[in-house]
Amino acid sequence: MKAVSLVINGKQSEATIEPRLNLVDFLRDHCELTATHIGCEHGVCGACTVLIDGVPARSCITFTVAADRAAITTLEGFAGDPAMNTLREAFAEHHGLQCGFCTPGMLMTARDIVTRFPDADEKRIRMELAGNLCRCTGYVGIVKAIQDALVKLKAAPALPQAVRGIGPAGSHPPAVHKERGAAPALSGRAMAAASTENFDVVDWAAIEREGVELQQSFVVPFPRADVWRFFADLGHVTRCMPGARLTTPVQGGRAEGEVTVKLGPIVSAFQGVLDVARDDAAFRGTVRGAGRDSRSPSSARAIIRYSIDAPDVSSSQVGVTVKFLLSGPLAQFSRGGLVKDIADQLTRVFARNLEARLSGKPLQDHQAQTLDAGAVARSALWARIRSFFMRT
Amino acid sequence: MKPVAFDYERAASLSDAASLLARTGGFVKLLAGGQSLGPMLNLRLAQPDLLIDITSIPELTAIIDGGDHLEIGACVTHSDIEDGRVPDHFGGLLRQVAGRIAYRPVRNRGTVGGSLAHADPAADWISALSLIGADAVLWSQRGVRTVAVENLVVSSFTTALAADELIRGVRIPKLSPAARWGFFKFSQKAGEFAHTIGGVLHDPARGVFRAVLGAIETAPIVLADARPLFGGSAFDSGIANRIDREAIARLLDGKNVTDDYIRSLAPVALKRAAIQASAS
Repeated sequence: MKAVSLVINGKQSEATIEPRLNLVDFLRDHCELTATHIGCEHGVCGACTVLIDGVPARSCITFTVAADRAAITTLEGFAGDPAMNTLREAFAEHHGLQCGFCTPGMLMTARDIVTRFPDADEKRIRMELAGNLCRCTGYVGIVKAIQDALVKLKAAPALPQAVRGIGPAGSHPPAVHKERGAAPALSGRAMAAASTENFDVVDWAAIEREGVELQQSFVVPFPRADVWRFFADLGHVTRCMPGARLTTPVQGGRAEGEVTVKLGPIVSAFQGVLDVARDDAAFRGTVRGAGRDSRSPSSARAIIRYSIDAPDVSSSQVGVTVKFLLSGPLAQFSRGGLVKDIADQLTRVFARNLEARLSGKPLQDHQAQTLDAGAVARSALWARIRSFFMRT
Repeated sequence: MKPVAFDYERAASLSDAASLLARTGGFVKLLAGGQSLGPMLNLRLAQPDLLIDITSIPELTAIIDGGDHLEIGACVTHSDIEDGRVPDHFGGLLRQVAGRIAYRPVRNRGTVGGSLAHADPAADWISALSLIGADAVLWSQRGVRTVAVENLVVSSFTTALAADELIRGVRIPKLSPAARWGFFKFSQKAGEFAHTIGGVLHDPARGVFRAVLGAIETAPIVLADARPLFGGSAFDSGIANRIDREAIARLLDGKNVTDDYIRSLAPVALKRAAIQASAS
């Protein structure tokens, strides 16, 4: 819990809050100022827009603790404000609202437009309104209302601009400046065990049909028979995959395992089941996997087909085709190309580790380490591995 | 959704941030304006144990005129640049870029350093600061080092920052009055992330002719010598008509960019940037 002190609509407000409390929840639930609406909760829809130190900001992605000592103005705080009064009347006159959900944010942005752009034309107004979504009006009435308000405000004295320094609006130095010494270790949170996947009811045909396909190929300087023998052991293969490990022995071609991937601020830990089928004569195999993230309600299913071809007697070309479906928040977030970029990075490390294992060298990072994509790319081996790569 | 619980500390100085960053036993993230991290926290994609707010560190909001370059602190916001609170020695290039990032309420808190550290390949600064040839100034208790922005971002959400390092600021070369530039981003809606970015910069007084192809779902393609994109030609008013589509295709191949949409947009984004540069 953190003690904060904010000025809300001109009134000093002290509170002790959780750091994770977003400003919009503080305003609505702690200050009972419910004009500010919560829409998308990720900064896109604009319904939560308030003034922080006099300029508009998203209260759904501003933590209250990060706005300590700031001045907040919500729609309740504009009594006697000539620009806001003019806009309110214009919105009513021009059908600038219907259900009213977006209206508090619209008025905040509209006030910002008439303050910063007294000569705004329709194009400018629409550009500036792009960060506020309305599902009722089609925006025509809102734009007209702002145009009308601009005309009416022309006759009034120029609106004062917020005075501001450099840096994020609402960010203030700590009241007490103290240096910290060596800090104690964090307690961390125990990871919840992921709910287990019922592997036998997974609709693999749907993954074949709808899955995203990635193809990778690389050459390792070892004969095909050696590489194939290595691939026969699922444990060996898993250890080449950074962040991956088997949690049960392979029985009847099936095992349980987990894989942890760190990507920027995202850490995902998937736990699930793997099933392997091999065709020794053709040097081809298929791994099917299904797992859930223990930190978010995301799940992943994948069909991985691999083949070992022999371009010559002393080297092998490993081909991997992955078809996968992600669901849950991770899928919402992921753009297709990003997943491919991550898969490219994973494959590079896999190829590097595979080569090291086949050479009998110890792996630097096979001990169930998290894939830190950054660490991978920084590694000195990276340039060497890249030279092995072939595009598919 | 609401974020999972985390601890929060506001660092008062660089050394203060360093001692907080050194805490073990959990996942620690730096927080600047929080306009990219905030959504990921709300969606619970990011679940750090500790957030270190770095926006009160004086060096991170400093603006230092270095003669041939301007060094801006990492916590300078997009709107600080858009509004001209950061002196414009860049012929309006950075002001145009800043003014078209997301939406005004986001620009009032989102920071240049935060955007670079987040390393979303579709974000604007990675491409724009690579185009202009800026260096990121990285600080840790081991010392200060500079890394060209084009080398800072390694791939999606992946940077060359070490675990104990933070971006203190960005050193941006000043453009000469003769400089011409174009920067075009494909977005279907004002303020959304770019689908592809093209950028061209010609500064004859400094012997610079650079180009960037960005927002390609991985780190941008940066050419310190842009001539190969234009059939080997030097910069002139007809440059936009000499775009070499095959050269662009080869560069995209080199980055393993297979998305047809991006491959189609890239030459057009570059052409529109070239038109802007040669018309200005």
